[in-house]
Amino acid sequence: MILIVLLAIASGMALSAQAAINGQLGAKVGVIESSLLTFSMGTVITGLLIFFFEPAHDATLLSVPKWQLAGALFGIVYMMVMVAAVPRVGVAIATIATILGQMLMSLVIDTQGWLGNSPIELNYWRVAAMVCIAAALVCIYLANRKPEHISTRGTAEDAADTAH
Amino acid sequence: MSILFIGLIVAAGMGLSFEAGLLGPLGQQVGHLWATLSIFGVGTSLLWMIRHFIPNGKYTNWNAIPKWQLIGGLLGPVYVVALTLATPVLGVAMTMVCVLLGQVGKSFAIDYFGWFNTPKQPTNLLRLLGLVFIFLALCFVYIGAQQ
Repeated sequence: MILIVLLAIASGMALSAQAAINGQLGAKVGVIESSLLTFSMGTVITGLLIFFFEPAHDATLLSVPKWQLAGALFGIVYMMVMVAAVPRVGVAIATIATILGQMLMSLVIDTQGWLGNSPIELNYWRVAAMVCIAAALVCIYLANRKPEHISTRGTAEDAADTAH
Repeated sequence: MSILFIGLIVAAGMGLSFEAGLLGPLGQQVGHLWATLSIFGVGTSLLWMIRHFIPNGKYTNWNAIPKWQLIGGLLGPVYVVALTLATPVLGVAMTMVCVLLGQVGKSFAIDYFGWFNTPKQPTNLLRLLGLVFIFLALCFVYIGAQQ
């Protein structure tokens, strides 16, 4: 479990490195174009990995219920919303709002066991964790609000890149 | 007006958790890499169509872009594969907290050291404090899972 925790943290790091790189690319070619490039690279690489490393499974993408394939839609919708909303509400608010939505919904999915996930009971520890996240959000908001801080880049485009 | 957009972003953020919640079980059924391919395949197709409908898009001079800026595309699958592996074990919330910790920590480091051509910035205590809070949250959610 510790191993998976570390893996998930590392993936967050990869995401933020990607955001830093894509931020510069996006500034030049536009958000949609840079995401298209990221996604097509991702498709090709995943395809290659499947050819060489993926063992056979009984179920395939074509045999599972179609709603299970809807994941990418949420990512794309999120990206479009960010493109439209960030110029209007600012990066700080957009970041906070994203994390807020993510945390609320992930608690609901865990507690209810939606989408075929095994239910996880909502205990006091989890509530305490969410209080900490709320405190962290306040810090991030205050840190990003300062106008001289370009560093808003970090978290916001990270957020935009969670789309993947 | 901006309240509307904030609400929209919150809803879109909820969508991201849905995405993670869908990925875990899908990966367990069809394989983690196939689940990842579904994300990138559908995403690429949609974006390809979308790009034809956006104004002043269709950037063509791809060769002028520094090659290292294309690395971003390699990192995407790392994230999605990790997501399909992690959500069944950790649950969606804990996975999200881990990812958040990695993101905020790394972007802190990127700004601090000025990696990837970004302007170097001095330590911001508030961001550091935010990082500490996220780490605490991870500890709590971990303890909560042990019981």
